[in-house]
Amino acid sequence: MLNESLIVAQKEIVDHARDVRSVISSLMYALMGPVVVFLVALAVRSQFRAGAASEVLAGMMSVFTLVAAFVGGMNVAMDTIAGERERHSLLPLLLNPVPRHDIMIGKWLSIAAFCAAGLIVNLLGFGVVFTTAGLRLTGDAGALLLALALGMLPLALLAASLQLLIATLCRSLKEAQTYLSMIVFAPMLIGMFLVFYRGVPEWFNLLPIAGQQLQLELLMKGGSLPFSEPLWLGCLTTAAALLILFLAADRLERDEIVYGN
Amino acid sequence: MIKVQSLSKSFNHRQVVANLSFEAPSGSITGLLGANGAGKTTTLRMICGALQPQSGSVVIDDLEPDAAPLKRRRRIGALLDHMGLYGRLTVRENLVYFGRLQGLTSPELKDRTASVIAMLALEAIADRRTAGLSQGERMKTALARALLHGPRNLLLDEPTNGLDVPTVRALREVLRRLRDSGVCIVFSSHVLEEVRALCDQVVIVAAGQCVAQASPDEICSQAETETLEDAFVRLTVC
Repeated sequence: MLNESLIVAQKEIVDHARDVRSVISSLMYALMGPVVVFLVALAVRSQFRAGAASEVLAGMMSVFTLVAAFVGGMNVAMDTIAGERERHSLLPLLLNPVPRHDIMIGKWLSIAAFCAAGLIVNLLGFGVVFTTAGLRLTGDAGALLLALALGMLPLALLAASLQLLIATLCRSLKEAQTYLSMIVFAPMLIGMFLVFYRGVPEWFNLLPIAGQQLQLELLMKGGSLPFSEPLWLGCLTTAAALLILFLAADRLERDEIVYGN
Repeated sequence: MIKVQSLSKSFNHRQVVANLSFEAPSGSITGLLGANGAGKTTTLRMICGALQPQSGSVVIDDLEPDAAPLKRRRRIGALLDHMGLYGRLTVRENLVYFGRLQGLTSPELKDRTASVIAMLALEAIADRRTAGLSQGERMKTALARALLHGPRNLLLDEPTNGLDVPTVRALREVLRRLRDSGVCIVFSSHVLEEVRALCDQVVIVAAGQCVAQASPDEICSQAETETLEDAFVRLTVC
């Protein structure tokens, strides 16, 4: 089972890595955050030294990092199911003696790999921005890395599942592009709301997307978190990702996925 | 051998295949003829397991209808209505991907890939990406993919659409060789000349039902016509 999923994942990664335009577009999305924060940091440098703008910058960074987890795999997600239906390559694939949910897991792994890559590029971009703009985080770097590993990587899995589910609902690449572009706004909206809203309930910390945003922001501003919080959030996010993956795999079992193309 | 027994399927309350039965023996080419919307593609998709029939069953070789679907799929090679190749992968990479999913081991895969590339004369384009290939080259690649795992049953849905004469002739030759080696071939086509030249038997489908099954000559005799085209029109237009 895992072997067949890995065969599918490997093919998807090689195939999409050759799509130069898509890779450049994903890179630009992932680096958009660091570029914006760099420009804002330059504009408010004097205030930043005084600490006045640091909170807003930290909030902005966490929102962009959240969005990066979604955009990295967006092109792959739209191409891997809706694109395959449009190009009529999905049917030959489904005729292989491989359970359809194994094919779906393979596609999910490849999208998650691109989401995680987008996330890593984004964080590396922020690293460069911090070095070149002379900024410093007040938070504990170790705790921040742990929160990123436990919270953000499961978020890449969740983003991959959501994108895969939407892609299975779409008949064409154009349709998938429309809907998937919209869901990138979800983490942006949630993130921006939480940056400026005060009095967020405690349980938001365990809510996928919102939890990651709050924890990242807190850590970037120098706050501290018990180890269990990012751990629980990571577990809950992974569980949500698997549930949505199950729904997407169920869609692939239906006749509509075949007779429509 | 493929035995279709009382197969039915409807989409959105529209009956597409209705109680269709026919048998395609091993070592023969069976032509599935029908007007647009007659249910040929849906029938082929049900035979290869891409769609589930609402009623009826399909027997593949010695496997009963309730045999594991994945086991049944290993016995079938299919090239259905579109080639569906991966444009950013080379011909060889397309074949290797599908061979691995068919469960071929590395030495088997190497041998089988070389064998189908040689059989379909794909050597010159084996390491080119399929996006830049001609229609005939893409069709041959898709056929190579369907033959890669050495299936005993081959389903082809209008395989000669859009192909030039030399490619059609080459395809006919390949199909005859496969038939002579004992492969059961079922293919749908609109080109009646081609069906008459190639098929050992013809199944004529109208409104999802089988209206005739015999050799092309016998069908002409039954319909009391000179040509298969006239027989087809007489049997399907009512």
